[in-house]
Amino acid sequence: MKHVILVQRNELTNDESKNIRKLIELQDLARSANYKVVGDVTQTRRPDRKYQIGRGKVEELALMMEELGADGIIFSNQLSTTQIYNISETCKCEVIDKFQLILEIFAKRATTKRSKLQVELAKLQYELPKAKAIMSLLIKEERPGFMGLGSYEDSYEQDIRSRIKRIQKELASVQKDNESLRIKRHEHGFSIVSLAGYTSAGKSTLFNALVDEDVHVEDMLFTTLLPITRALNICGRRVLLTDTVGFIEDLPHWMIDAFRSTLNEIFLADVILLVVDASESPGIMRQKLVTSHDTFWEQIKGVPIITVLNKIDRITENEFKERLENVGYLTPNPVAVSAKNSLGFDELKMEIYRQLPKWKRDTVSLPMSKYGMSIVSWLFNEGIVHNINYKDRIIVDFEARDEIILKARLIEKKYSEFFTDSIYDTQ
Amino acid sequence: MYNIIAVDISGRHKINDRYYMVCAAVSVSITAEHIEKVNQIKIKPFWLDSAPELTDIVQVIEDTVKEIEFGGTIITEHGEMYNQPERVVASMFSRDFKYQESLGDRSSIELAHHISFCTRNLLLSELGIES
Repeated sequence: MKHVILVQRNELTNDESKNIRKLIELQDLARSANYKVVGDVTQTRRPDRKYQIGRGKVEELALMMEELGADGIIFSNQLSTTQIYNISETCKCEVIDKFQLILEIFAKRATTKRSKLQVELAKLQYELPKAKAIMSLLIKEERPGFMGLGSYEDSYEQDIRSRIKRIQKELASVQKDNESLRIKRHEHGFSIVSLAGYTSAGKSTLFNALVDEDVHVEDMLFTTLLPITRALNICGRRVLLTDTVGFIEDLPHWMIDAFRSTLNEIFLADVILLVVDASESPGIMRQKLVTSHDTFWEQIKGVPIITVLNKIDRITENEFKERLENVGYLTPNPVAVSAKNSLGFDELKMEIYRQLPKWKRDTVSLPMSKYGMSIVSWLFNEGIVHNINYKDRIIVDFEARDEIILKARLIEKKYSEFFTDSIYDTQ
Repeated sequence: MYNIIAVDISGRHKINDRYYMVCAAVSVSITAEHIEKVNQIKIKPFWLDSAPELTDIVQVIEDTVKEIEFGGTIITEHGEMYNQPERVVASMFSRDFKYQESLGDRSSIELAHHISFCTRNLLLSELGIES
């Protein structure tokens, strides 16, 4: 395990609570990437072009590195190539920033081809603007000549660009497959419900409890990278529940773009369950909810959201009321649950049922024959059969989506023409 | 459901040495994710000779919002107030002020933006000013 020191330059305009929250989040991220934090340094000032923090502070940092026996430095702020170079020259150690740290975590957790491609794309997009500077620093000592300076820089940048294009093409084909899978699922009568929310809100625990699964859960950030989908029955409706990657504050746009195909699992759902850790203070809850709303904005088009206030077993009823009063304006359709103790699941399932795309109720009369029975079996598969009456004809009272009702009506009409003398009774 | 006043200003760039701005204030009743009802809309043009500063923007918003008959917190995007901290900006207004947070807030500002943008285009074409 590597020992690291965390460094954060605070903006002059930030309030103290925001600075503390950001530092704690960086500590959690470092822990998730298997680093041991041995110290932290903060400074409030405008960014320094050469070092991000002040030069004196960097020298102080170098002394601290020796004292604490640290092997690396992690910055909370985004660093330029020159800043990384200058700081590592002074401190004689590896220097990374928060975004590189997130990429490290993602790279460690990525197991499938799709997630590996997404991580590689994010890495390349992070590297692209730095490509020229990296090459200039690497070949600083070299003399110009054949393949010297300029040629290197251009070919390296172009190489990155062409790799980005290739990965985007591959990911687009994966996305196409996903979209056709989503259409197929809809055609088969499944509604899609996605779990979304800030990282470490307890999405995977809720997922496991709802579908009785054993998805990997850990008290770490970004445990879930790839969406996992399982079937669930909500009041007779077949639903596919998807667990997804968590959100984080200040996530750069290139990272959101790289994980587009994963995030689309959330954006293109029929219902979104926005999971929030209700045991946190109202201020932190508010900030995390704002980040979630920010990620949703311009992505979801009228998809209903249910706010799942998780971990209520950790707070009292009065504390819960206080939180709801403070952040109520950010919580559409709130439901309180405890995923760990399976509390509030009935209310949650009822709310999901209420928000699912509406099905209609209808009655059809089918012939009492082998074909009629096969239609009954099909209706059982595609919808909810409330009542069935076997007389001279089979009268089925059922609930289903429009296409199924239309199809059943056509079958009813077709067979009523051949059996005009039978009891033909519509609703 | 609660009331807010979403504000957007269009035209904060120089055209023919002047700043032709239009401010739209929209009083709406919203939930966390939707606009439920539009109560009132006010639009005001402002012509300035120099680049607007934060105090000018506050004045422009105050002048437009004072004609709104409904109560509610003034809500804008961060960029509208030059990304200044919320507490600094809030102290400059006579009403409550906050930056956009929920999806409902954002939809309301989007509505205000469409109104101010279209009104400004219409005014500029009526006045024969090339944008």
